[in-house]
Amino acid sequence: MDEIRDGIDQIDCDILIIGGGTAGPMAALKAKKKNPKANIILLDKANVKRSGAICMGMDGLNNSVIPGYATPEQYTKEITVANDGICDQAAVYRYAQECYGIIQELDSFGIRFQKDQNGEYDVKKVHHIGTYVLPMPNGDTVKKALYRQLRKARINIINRYMATRLLTGEGRVAGAICVNTRSAEFLVVRAKAVIMGLGAAGRLGLPTSGYLYGTYENASNSGEGYAMAYHAGAGLANLECYQINPLIKDYNGPACAYVAGPMGGYTANARGERFIECDYWSGQMMQEFFDELQGGKGPVYLKLNHLAEETVAEIERVLHIVERPTRGHFHRGRGTDYRKQMIEMHISEIGFCSGHSASGVFVDEHARTTIPGLYAAGDMANVPHNYMLGAFTHGAFAGEDAADYVAEMDFAAFDQADIEAERTRVLAPTKREDGIPPNQIEYKTRRLVNDYLQPPKVTAKMHLAQKRFAEVREDMENAMYVRDAHELMRALEASSILDCADMAAAASLYRTESRWGLYHNRVEYERDDENWFCHTILTKGDDGMPASRKQDVKPYVVDIAEDEKDAYAKQRVKPSVAAE
Amino acid sequence: MTVLFEDFNDIDDLAAGLNDPTPSGRIMAVIELADSADPAAIPYLAGAISDADAGVRKQAALALTDFDGPDTAAALVVALADSVQEVRDAAAVSLTELKEPAAGDALLPHLGSADEFTLVACLAGIKELRRPEAMEPAIAALEHPSPTVRMQAVGVIGWLQDPAALSALQKAAADVDVQVRRVALTALGFSRTEAAESALIAALSDPHWHPREAAAETLAKSGGAACVSHLRRALDDDYWQVRLKAVRSLGKLGAREAAMQIGPLISLDIPNLRKECAAVLGELAVPETRSFLAAFEHDSDPDVRKNVRWALARIDAAAA
Amino acid sequence: MPLAQTATTVPVVVNDDLCIADKGCTVCVDVCPLDVLRIAETAEGSKTAYMKYDECWYCMPCEADCPTGAVTVNLPYLLK
Repeated sequence: MDEIRDGIDQIDCDILIIGGGTAGPMAALKAKKKNPKANIILLDKANVKRSGAICMGMDGLNNSVIPGYATPEQYTKEITVANDGICDQAAVYRYAQECYGIIQELDSFGIRFQKDQNGEYDVKKVHHIGTYVLPMPNGDTVKKALYRQLRKARINIINRYMATRLLTGEGRVAGAICVNTRSAEFLVVRAKAVIMGLGAAGRLGLPTSGYLYGTYENASNSGEGYAMAYHAGAGLANLECYQINPLIKDYNGPACAYVAGPMGGYTANARGERFIECDYWSGQMMQEFFDELQGGKGPVYLKLNHLAEETVAEIERVLHIVERPTRGHFHRGRGTDYRKQMIEMHISEIGFCSGHSASGVFVDEHARTTIPGLYAAGDMANVPHNYMLGAFTHGAFAGEDAADYVAEMDFAAFDQADIEAERTRVLAPTKREDGIPPNQIEYKTRRLVNDYLQPPKVTAKMHLAQKRFAEVREDMENAMYVRDAHELMRALEASSILDCADMAAAASLYRTESRWGLYHNRVEYERDDENWFCHTILTKGDDGMPASRKQDVKPYVVDIAEDEKDAYAKQRVKPSVAAE
Repeated sequence: MTVLFEDFNDIDDLAAGLNDPTPSGRIMAVIELADSADPAAIPYLAGAISDADAGVRKQAALALTDFDGPDTAAALVVALADSVQEVRDAAAVSLTELKEPAAGDALLPHLGSADEFTLVACLAGIKELRRPEAMEPAIAALEHPSPTVRMQAVGVIGWLQDPAALSALQKAAADVDVQVRRVALTALGFSRTEAAESALIAALSDPHWHPREAAAETLAKSGGAACVSHLRRALDDDYWQVRLKAVRSLGKLGAREAAMQIGPLISLDIPNLRKECAAVLGELAVPETRSFLAAFEHDSDPDVRKNVRWALARIDAAAA
Repeated sequence: MPLAQTATTVPVVVNDDLCIADKGCTVCVDVCPLDVLRIAETAEGSKTAYMKYDECWYCMPCEADCPTGAVTVNLPYLLK
């Protein structure tokens, strides 16, 4: 295993789905259901059984819109406000209308949601405006249940092939070029439609632990989706709106204030005082978090040690069993007992992920990108604050729309030379006698991301970043060296990471205002609604470098009253009150 | 060329591995059969439930989670009586994953089982299947000496939401066991009848606070005008948890007449209660409660402040 | 520019006595999202799973899905 073999194969399908995590399997199932004759392939660089952000499960839904508890209008309003108004509401509103049907469908797959003694959904109240949290008591079986459905529907699954570039022709998508992660053999897939569900760009910044894989996101989500969409010419929206999360320091998993919050836990400073109003993850909340750390009032903690024993036990049960089960090991290793000590938190490395922010490949309410036949869903698509249920729901939209699209389409012709060029690019590190291993290319890129791109964003630093990235790119293209197919996968990931770093710098420099709290805090600029109440769309320019333009926010479907617009802006506890 | 697609192998071929002389070989066969997700694998996995090796039996019980229907359920029932606890536990968990109502055919005959572990697991398994035939044995199980059994039986009855079972639930709401009473009161929530309401009102005087809390909460669903005075009395309960649910339910019932009584509760030193009071005062929007709220506009708990401000805005909007 | 041999301790540990890789089991290798596990063959021809690449997200499918409980996921030293 892992030795590099020469080989290339070509296959055809109607719909190629890249990424078997959350959105991808749902897209496959929906497309197959709508068009049973369609030839569908679900491809993953890992194994669909346990791939993606939810490989170990999920403890609940954060954004379920269930009749009787929340309305699509309320939800759309809250998401719009949480994103400083930069939001095409149609995709959010459609999600809010249809996600309940997806919940019921997941339920029928065997993914259980908490129910009361009458078998009705037991939605947890956390907010007086709307109620969105629905716990999942057997959330550790999500992937297993999805896999079972894929097998039953007899979806063609290809594991351990990594898509590296999309093929386009005739102004639309034509397929993808893939490489086996254990043999370096090539696979060209011609497809009438391609659905991308490749997850977040989670390996962009370097975690403070210095461990390359100690990221918040599943470290296999290294940003291929963004890079492939970019090179194919698709538009990417608002990439300057980084993902930055408050996490348990070093462990880098979520502290899950949304689990602990309703039970009385909260984020506190070194004196055990509460300093933010709302533990809901937002750019403003992160800005306050950052200011507290910078202002010498840190460390910042998750405080649970004031809670009753049975409350702490329940929080432990939820947090340690599902999603990141090693969390319990981590706390035990350090002798942290929630009953006695507060839990040290820190700011995560930066990344791209619409699950918790608003950046990504631009899509509409059908999950269509700007390239005909190409779809994107889940963390890599730009529908804001989408979380897991959003990935399932938009994956469903993509699968259904693609099923219709391929019924009327034939394969697009593409240039065979594109395949040869990609083979040459991919295999270059295998053709050298020695050189720089991918882990060093990756480490340097990510260290530079931390040094120069991490907010607060400074123009001069971002220019330096671009200069340094160009130097690393030079090394990557001319001197990177791999010894086996596994290292080749890492080399390709390093390339995606560098592409994402370049995009992050370019997008951040383009928007000359501050917005979304810490996510895009450009210290030299104030918020500027007059000039920047718009999306920014990044594409690959004619010179091969990122090019940005403005795009209007579509007229709202749900009106936002003037006094509701800054609901998330005032996050800091008033000093007089905090002192009490 | 490396194999591209995941296989859809012939089940009989995969099952041949169940004859492997080593337990680990048989475990592998069980895993492959499970991954097939093909119902043709069920009889083979059912056979593996009686394997000589406990590791194989446990893997088979886990593997059956991937299947459904009466044959799957029947095999799992066999495993409930296994000599090894790990196998029994795996089977009990797998039983709760059943979805097809037909799977209940295999569970119904065991709803009177003399073995407590089997009885509890079969009741838990049939609950989500919502089989009307389970009603009678579940009602009978309410007489079982074990509270665990009685609690599962209440679940079965509650999920069926059959008005004919109201008297059984009423009886369970007066069970000797506190937790049985608690779940029975919650289960009454499907009914908007006088019978359900009176059982819940009676439970507001339960000696233990858990049932009182459940009753106060469930009255929001089952209660009408008749319960408002009782919920108002519950605002003086010794336990803030009960008071909180009473406040919540009075809000849901739109009991504006209770607003002036809820108002003073906001000054109690329990943030969760203050938070709920503020939200409910906002929902009821009675102008006279404005002064109670205004005093807490700068409460030390941010969530309380947020609700207070929201409530004040609601009251002012209603007045305008 | 020859490459260095730098030692690193790995977080995933496999109990050889329990591992049934000999029987063709590759469950842990299959489920790893980062593909860091491999099967090693000893001089005597017996097989066991081991962590070949120190690229672990400590996510646990290898431990959770192992049919014999042979796999333990520890936290990588750098962050534990």
